[in-house]
Amino acid sequence: MLQAENTIFTIVAIAYFVLTIVNFAFVILKKEAISKAALILQTGIFILHTAALIMRGIGAGRWPMTNQYEFASSFAWALCLVSLIFIRKYRFPVLGAFSSPLILLMIGYAALQSREVRELMPSLRSSWLAFHVSTAIISYGAFGVAFVLSLIFLFRSRIREDGFWGQHIPQAEKLDMISYRSVCLGMLFLTLTILTGAIWAEQAWGSYWSWDPKETWSLVTWIIYAVYLHLRLRRGWKGKTAALFAVIGFVCVIFTYIGVNTFLPGIHSYA
Amino acid sequence: MDPRSPLYQKEKGIMKKIGRFLSSMPFAITLLVLLAAACALSSTIPQGQAFETYSAQYGERMAGFILALRLDDAFHSWWFIGLSAFLCLNLLCCNLIRLPALLKRVRAFSDPDKASEANATVEAHGEGEPREVFTALHMPDPREGKDGRLFAAANRAGFWGAWVCHLGILLLILGFALGQMTAENYTVYALPGKTKPLENTGLTVRIDDFQTERNEDGSIRQYTTRLTVSDPEKNISDAGTASVNAPANLFGYKFFQNSTGWGAAVKVLKNGEELQTDTLCAGEFIPVKDKPELVVFLQAVYPDYVRREGTGPASASDEPRNPAYLYRVYYQGEILGMNILTQDEELTIDEYTVLFSNPRPYTLLAVKRDRFTVMVLLGGLVTLAGLAMAFGLQPRAVWAARGETGWSVYGESRKGGVLFRDSFLKAAAEAGFSIREPKKNEGGNE
Repeated sequence: MLQAENTIFTIVAIAYFVLTIVNFAFVILKKEAISKAALILQTGIFILHTAALIMRGIGAGRWPMTNQYEFASSFAWALCLVSLIFIRKYRFPVLGAFSSPLILLMIGYAALQSREVRELMPSLRSSWLAFHVSTAIISYGAFGVAFVLSLIFLFRSRIREDGFWGQHIPQAEKLDMISYRSVCLGMLFLTLTILTGAIWAEQAWGSYWSWDPKETWSLVTWIIYAVYLHLRLRRGWKGKTAALFAVIGFVCVIFTYIGVNTFLPGIHSYA
Repeated sequence: MDPRSPLYQKEKGIMKKIGRFLSSMPFAITLLVLLAAACALSSTIPQGQAFETYSAQYGERMAGFILALRLDDAFHSWWFIGLSAFLCLNLLCCNLIRLPALLKRVRAFSDPDKASEANATVEAHGEGEPREVFTALHMPDPREGKDGRLFAAANRAGFWGAWVCHLGILLLILGFALGQMTAENYTVYALPGKTKPLENTGLTVRIDDFQTERNEDGSIRQYTTRLTVSDPEKNISDAGTASVNAPANLFGYKFFQNSTGWGAAVKVLKNGEELQTDTLCAGEFIPVKDKPELVVFLQAVYPDYVRREGTGPASASDEPRNPAYLYRVYYQGEILGMNILTQDEELTIDEYTVLFSNPRPYTLLAVKRDRFTVMVLLGGLVTLAGLAMAFGLQPRAVWAARGETGWSVYGESRKGGVLFRDSFLKAAAEAGFSIREPKKNEGGNE
């Protein structure tokens, strides 16, 4: 099963690369048919990626989110999921063109990690593992999509309204609203992540909050997005300033996920 | 003081200004940014280290700076606690000051008589059927008000989202602070069969058994301690099991399987006759019974002893194949000597002989009682509920009034913004209405 998962993951990684090339071709050639093809391709890759994760879980005998490889793969999966949901819900197919490079980067990072399946250490043997890590994955996926939308928003003013992109990218107000919805989704799940993490920490270590670097940077990320949500209520501060905070927030997400493990090890070091 | 006096009015005015500032959004945003920066900076500085450690890493000047600003214990420093206290004040003032206006707004929102064109964020007109617009927007069945007007409002609870979220965060921070001040934290460690007092509680803890469960590849699967906690005064006992992720809950204390190490049995002979026996964990000492100024300290146990060049004594595995014991001897507080004893070796000091044997793992349990954990959990759940209400429930109202030239249908949803507007216009167009920009279109969001 793990051998098959390995093969499928490789196919998925290559497929995401192809998807990015197709989207790049769409950006250059500006043909709607390419965008539609990219969306169908993205949906197909998502289904294959889901299958790979399920196979990983069955092969390893646990939820596939306990090491860097599994988390990175799941993160890419969540980015793909949230972008597909937002493409369909808000009828914004062009979003796929801008989110696929981010998904590719994450799947590339996953491909570089060790895929060895090891037994879980005692502190990870808990039913909270599934809740805590899956909520983190969904929240990161949502923040990733918000990051892409905010970048599009920041460059929106340079787009000619009568041009191809002017007709295919929503107005700034709508982009801002969709980005806000994505941040809301991320914020809800990040709060769940922190809450379930605290409950689990209390059970495992006797302390629901120890200012561990991972915990602290999750809090920093939460605060940055809280600032974003407050900025949107102030006339003159919403729009560009809020979008900038959404971008900073995602940088914090990446630092929380990768930077903390690399530069600031603590009791979360296995994650 | 006379409420009509200018001084009273002036003081009341100043209090209002202070209240407004403390509850203001710029103040909140400033606090949040400062807290985020403080957390980020503090996470990069190792906490709880000595001046020498910081000096070696950052230089003497920076080390002095770190200690002066309490960056070595940042999360308990006066400035961090101060920022947190101000945040609590901001949340409290915000909730208290905004509550009357919020109540008024919620009541007005669902009052059909208060719905007016001036409040609408979008409107449409024509001869179409307005009930189709209500249905398409998933509104509740409209009520008929005066003048035959139709009105429906949904998701009023969404107005409370931010307020409930703030309340939750306040409960959480207060619960955490109170827990930090009042929680009891202890550690107890011992080899199986040993009883130790639980400091300051009057309770004793006996370690009945300690087991290590392994996976097929030899890695650790689980640590499990069976223990009995007793209250000698009341002569009652309670037994339980603590393993990782499954603490024991006894006498109101939680016992967490925290760590393990190695210990051994120790026997002291005097002139060949057994004087005393005991068990020691690494890091414990035993004074000789009839000469207490002579102390043997067991510094470390190596269950599978190897001597590596350049790195000193170590253990090749955690199986007791070739045990060795690193000890120190003290006399009247002064160190006499330090060495390693292997399994068959003895330590002789004058007429005394010390032998170590039977190396085995000991268990270390973290013991805790925090009466405010429930408050923190409640705060977390309330925060989550507040966020779900704020994000998931977008208050919206739709009403329709019959005019001379047909129906006018209005919609109001400041939170829904342009997305509600798009849905409304689509529903209105499908129901046969034409669009007209409202006279006052604010389109603000919450």
